[in-house]
Amino acid sequence: MIKQVENPLLEIHDLTVSYDQSPVLWNIDFSLPEGKLIGILGPNGAGKSTLIKAIMGLVEPTGGYVKIFNKDLDQVRNRISYVPQRESVDWNFPASVLDVVMMGTYGRLGLFKRPGKKEKDLAFSSLEKVGMTAFAKRQISELSGGQQQRVFIARALAQEADLYLMDEPFAGVDMATETAIFQLLQEMTKEGKTVIVVHHDIHSAMTYFEWIIMLNLHLVASGPKSDVVNEDLLRKTYGGKLNLLTKVTEIIRQQEFNPLKN
Amino acid sequence: MEDFLYFFSFQDSSIAFIVLGITILGIGSAYVGTFSFLDNKALLGDAISHSVLPGICLGFLLAGEKNPYYIVGGAIVSGSAATFLTSWLKSNTKLSEDSIIATVLSTFFGLGIVLLTVIQKTGNPEMAGLNQFIFGNAIGILEEDLWVYGGLSLIIILSLSLLMKEFSLLVFNQEFGRAIGYPMDFIRLVFNILMILSVVIGIQAIGVVLMAALLITPGAAARFWTDRLSTLLILAGLFAVISGITGTYISFVLPKMPTGPWVVVCLSFLALISFLFAPKKGILFRYISRRKYLRKTHRDHVLKSLFKATEEGKKGLNKNELLSLYPHHKKETLGSISYLLKHNQLNNIQGLIELSESGRTEAKRIVRLHRLWESYLNEYMNIAPDHVHDSAEKLEHLITPELEELLDNRLRYPKLDPHQENIPRDHDDI
Repeated sequence: MIKQVENPLLEIHDLTVSYDQSPVLWNIDFSLPEGKLIGILGPNGAGKSTLIKAIMGLVEPTGGYVKIFNKDLDQVRNRISYVPQRESVDWNFPASVLDVVMMGTYGRLGLFKRPGKKEKDLAFSSLEKVGMTAFAKRQISELSGGQQQRVFIARALAQEADLYLMDEPFAGVDMATETAIFQLLQEMTKEGKTVIVVHHDIHSAMTYFEWIIMLNLHLVASGPKSDVVNEDLLRKTYGGKLNLLTKVTEIIRQQEFNPLKN
Repeated sequence: MEDFLYFFSFQDSSIAFIVLGITILGIGSAYVGTFSFLDNKALLGDAISHSVLPGICLGFLLAGEKNPYYIVGGAIVSGSAATFLTSWLKSNTKLSEDSIIATVLSTFFGLGIVLLTVIQKTGNPEMAGLNQFIFGNAIGILEEDLWVYGGLSLIIILSLSLLMKEFSLLVFNQEFGRAIGYPMDFIRLVFNILMILSVVIGIQAIGVVLMAALLITPGAAARFWTDRLSTLLILAGLFAVISGITGTYISFVLPKMPTGPWVVVCLSFLALISFLFAPKKGILFRYISRRKYLRKTHRDHVLKSLFKATEEGKKGLNKNELLSLYPHHKKETLGSISYLLKHNQLNNIQGLIELSESGRTEAKRIVRLHRLWESYLNEYMNIAPDHVHDSAEKLEHLITPELEELLDNRLRYPKLDPHQENIPRDHDDI
């Protein structure tokens, strides 16, 4: 069940991505509407993070392309915000919460320029939206997992983008924070922003997302929640690894060169 | 003493120059080194510094004398070759980074030593100065050299200050930088060039073998004192400058002494002091706070024992009864008793030690936390009542008032713990 949309905000065409020549995403092809809260679901190792990274141009696809706002990524970077996984950075780095949130303004600021008052105000208002104003001066090493996640979301807000891509923003977050963040994301979509979230918990996904993408190395489904959430598709997504696909990956991995490369 | 005054009064202008040179050199290398330390790439600096030796020798062979431009040029070329080779091997083989660095480092250094031996065989009278590049000799720096090394140091300091936000992004979250469209590969390249330059500026004063120490140790030592990047950079620079000047002074007083080893000795000493005495992160501070905590827990236990005695209907316990409860902790128990007496939590009434009003409130609190935690473990984590005591014995000292409130809420203000003992509350006595 893959529902394509007219005038898509994001269009992914036959995207294939490999790591060390093992394909982790096979021929992903879908399009997404504007102004929705969209969830990417799938088991561990399904390629959810890789999909987000491919959209952001952080991994090189072996085939296919991505169009955002009907343009190439480099033309619209300032309208896109990316929240990496919390574990992907070293939180012992000597920086304050404000320093990290300020990084959200760097994209517009450009190289060489130092952030000034305007950037600082923007960082503070972003911190306020996630309820972390009191922590502005705190060292990031002293934060709990949920607080770190909120700092990352504040940094994304400071980018003032139209499209938000978030990689597991609810990992290691307590229930109350999860609800608060979801409410914030819902408000953002009401203002016309589009938010795409990699998520692992099916139950909260059912409550909050309007559009769901199901992934397990290949695209299982993409469409409005009511259309795609059924037992059959869930089983296809979560019912273990696809035996055949795994075997093909194994054959490709054993080659001395990458046979998928053009 | 005379030497000391002569050196530090800077009446000799060449000494003043050398000290100035060492100062900006130290700041520059500590500055770059701190970033590479934060980036967990400390070993790369070591690899580069050993790898510049063949370049120095080639520069010397080409110029036929100790010409700073040829030597610095050669050092930059072979340092770059080593850096490039390291990253090429990393992306094109499955070898781990540390084995690649070890291999590159020893290959280049070995080659350098071979060239050095060849040069020594030629009998060139200028070659005597070449040995200085191994362990460094700050006093041997000529004014012409100073312009080269000092100029490069200034370039490093300026570039880093200009690109502070880009390098922070590179170290903290490279992917995010790429996502917002920054040319992160180019920024990494600039950083690597600065790394190479920061090694090159130290070859004359510190020497290739020990230059890595001047890069990494200042930042590592300063990290014990602060969590702010700006303070960290300033402290690291300060440590490097102090050590640099000390090393230079020793080379001045004892002309046969190389500078590099003394700089490193001084730096290591500063690092040791940081490791031992820095507040919060130093081991002395941690040792003291642990001791304080242990004393506090023992006092809690004494209060608890006295409270339990009152539960059994006794008014208090005498000193010997208390001591016999903790057979291996006589000294701590006596210490706790006298501390609690002094702070009016206990009263000594004709040899019988009793809880005072405030002591009773505190003792109740500890017993309450202990029993609440036992109840929680039993009820929510399904742990048998005879397995909950040890955990509660530790947690009773840690649970905050907010957590207590939460526990009470969850458990619906229980009256009894899993052992059917009363959970004491402040209003019980009324």
